[in-house]
Amino acid sequence: MSGSVSRFTLALGLAAVVLSLVTLVGLPTPLQAVTATAVLVLLPGQALARLTPVTDAALGALLVLALGLATLTAVSTAMFYLAVWSWQACVVTMGAITVLACLARARTEASS
Amino acid sequence: MTRTLDAPSRTGRRWKPRDVGCAVAGAASLALAAGAASTVAVPVDSDLGLLAVLPYPFWVGVVLLNVAFAVALRGDDAGPARRPVMLWLIAVLVLMLFGTAAFVTDIPRGEVAFRHLGIADALSTTQGINPDIDAYFNWPGFFALLATILGATGLDPVAVALWAPVFNMSLWLAAMGVLTRYLTRDPRRRWLALWLFCLGNWQDQDYLSPQAFGFFLYLVVIALLVGPLAARTPVFAGFKRTALEWWWRERSPAEPRQAHRVSAIAVVILLVAVICASHQLTPFMLLIAMIALTLSGRVWPSRLPLITAVLLSLWLVYPASAYLVGHPPLEDAGLLAAAEANVVDRVSGTAGHLVVVQVRMALTVVLWLLAAAGALRDWRRGRLDIRVVLLAVSPLVLFPAQAYGGEMLIRVSLFALPFVAVQACSVLLPRHRGWRPSAGAAAGLALTCSMLALLTVTGRFGNAQYDVFTDGEMAAVAAAQRLAPPGSAIISAAHPTPWRSDSYLEHKYRTIDELCQTDLSAEVCGPLVYNYARHNPAGAVLLLTRSSEASLVLQGATSERGFAELEDWLGAQNGVEFVFGNDDARAYRVAP
Repeated sequence: MSGSVSRFTLALGLAAVVLSLVTLVGLPTPLQAVTATAVLVLLPGQALARLTPVTDAALGALLVLALGLATLTAVSTAMFYLAVWSWQACVVTMGAITVLACLARARTEASS
Repeated sequence: MTRTLDAPSRTGRRWKPRDVGCAVAGAASLALAAGAASTVAVPVDSDLGLLAVLPYPFWVGVVLLNVAFAVALRGDDAGPARRPVMLWLIAVLVLMLFGTAAFVTDIPRGEVAFRHLGIADALSTTQGINPDIDAYFNWPGFFALLATILGATGLDPVAVALWAPVFNMSLWLAAMGVLTRYLTRDPRRRWLALWLFCLGNWQDQDYLSPQAFGFFLYLVVIALLVGPLAARTPVFAGFKRTALEWWWRERSPAEPRQAHRVSAIAVVILLVAVICASHQLTPFMLLIAMIALTLSGRVWPSRLPLITAVLLSLWLVYPASAYLVGHPPLEDAGLLAAAEANVVDRVSGTAGHLVVVQVRMALTVVLWLLAAAGALRDWRRGRLDIRVVLLAVSPLVLFPAQAYGGEMLIRVSLFALPFVAVQACSVLLPRHRGWRPSAGAAAGLALTCSMLALLTVTGRFGNAQYDVFTDGEMAAVAAAQRLAPPGSAIISAAHPTPWRSDSYLEHKYRTIDELCQTDLSAEVCGPLVYNYARHNPAGAVLLLTRSSEASLVLQGATSERGFAELEDWLGAQNGVEFVFGNDDARAYRVAP
């Protein structure tokens, strides 16, 4: 049985691409803080949390934060150890992680 | 993943006047507390800290908020007040207790947050990790995160450090809110546990720090262990081998869907790895908690402690090996040494400071006694949740293992606090779970919580005389860092100095109390400091701030007169030149 990819998955992936670009181009400080937080923590956290079959909203929301922060920590630390760190590289990587997680989710949705 | 236990839902019910009243009372108490705190003059000139200088409207706000909470918690026969009201009251409590200092001053409290900003800055500058610099560069996870967030968001690092306690406390409460849903189905118990967790949190570990981040992840992992990864156990049949084997075999997963458990395990492994990379102590606390829960049969994947131990060992033997070569983990182990470093060494100083130290101990003891009474009550009724007891007690195992710079008891009490708070609820709420507290019980609860709030503010802000900095001190630190040539030493009187937030790697940072250890007299300490400064190839800048002096006096290391004599002696030496001064600080350049 095959299904269709949900709009939320598409929106999440698209938002990751657009906001990553916007963050890299730069915005005035308060807006930059909002977009950077979304790209670095919230969107990847949401995309990764959706790969886990969470049914409880509170646990799901907590996982968004925990997974977003933990993944960003892992990515940033690895980049420092590899001596390739820059915050721009982190933005690109977290955007890519979000898109990949959305693709994985889309594949599941399409096959269900 | 596992659905949480069903709880009475109040969604869809109309707002009641009582709920609206509680919400308004919360707003009024916040206005009172924030308004009162913003009138406090800096520097704080009392060895009792903020307790002595906060005007009475602050305390009116504290009492009003606790009364509003007790009324909201009592609610009606259907349960406590609506969820938005309870959340709002908790948000106000967080702002009141953890944002107080931010209402008083726009400079972050305490030295360590500045140092952590400096480490993140050093990482961004060097763009690599040199583990030989110091311990922080052996556990760089949190600092890598901080460097990335500060770089990408463009936020002011000082503002981030200023509001970090409120942010961290919110993260902790979010995790604890989910965690308590798996521990109890009584909504009153859950809200009260969150409230007590705030009121008992004098440990002051919620500043911009790796331990605050690690503690958040710790709570998330525990939530997963008692939630999707929990196991159901049969009735315990005794300690005979056959009985134990039967008991272990008969366990069943609380979450029947294997895919859900596997995803939860994957999340736990990621979080454990990040915890191992971010903080020295937290993975050990987590490992002990995991072992305790697994041995009690309450966690389904029994190999998780082994996986955690492997990840932790790998981190210690490779990325953290540079630090561990010179600092064996059990170097200062022993109950006696731990007691001396954590208790005896801290009970010294001026009369006011001693009161503050005793208040911290009293608050911890009171909460533990309430939890013990609650545990006894639950045990008598046959409903003691062994998971809560194990999670409260297991951090104690680490107490004799490491002095941890005299901070192990603080850390142990923090890791135990969420579960002590949950267990204490059993004695503060009616015997029958889900029953509405009487008006008298609610009044008693409001009084108890108000007293705990008084103790927490006293304990938490008891060092305000030396951990709340002035603009003058900030200007002096900036001047010292500007005047000190690269490679030179900057010598402060003691550690509460808001330095190292930039040029972390450019200077050697030393303090007079470290150089002189126990005797800070001009005759003994003066030559030690002077010789150290003179023999440094690039010279030194001597920075004497009001807060560092207050710290030494308050903790009994010297007197105001003794400190003045030391400064006079140093100022009179050859090659020592006065280069900067204001009401709160002086700086001297020492030529090499």
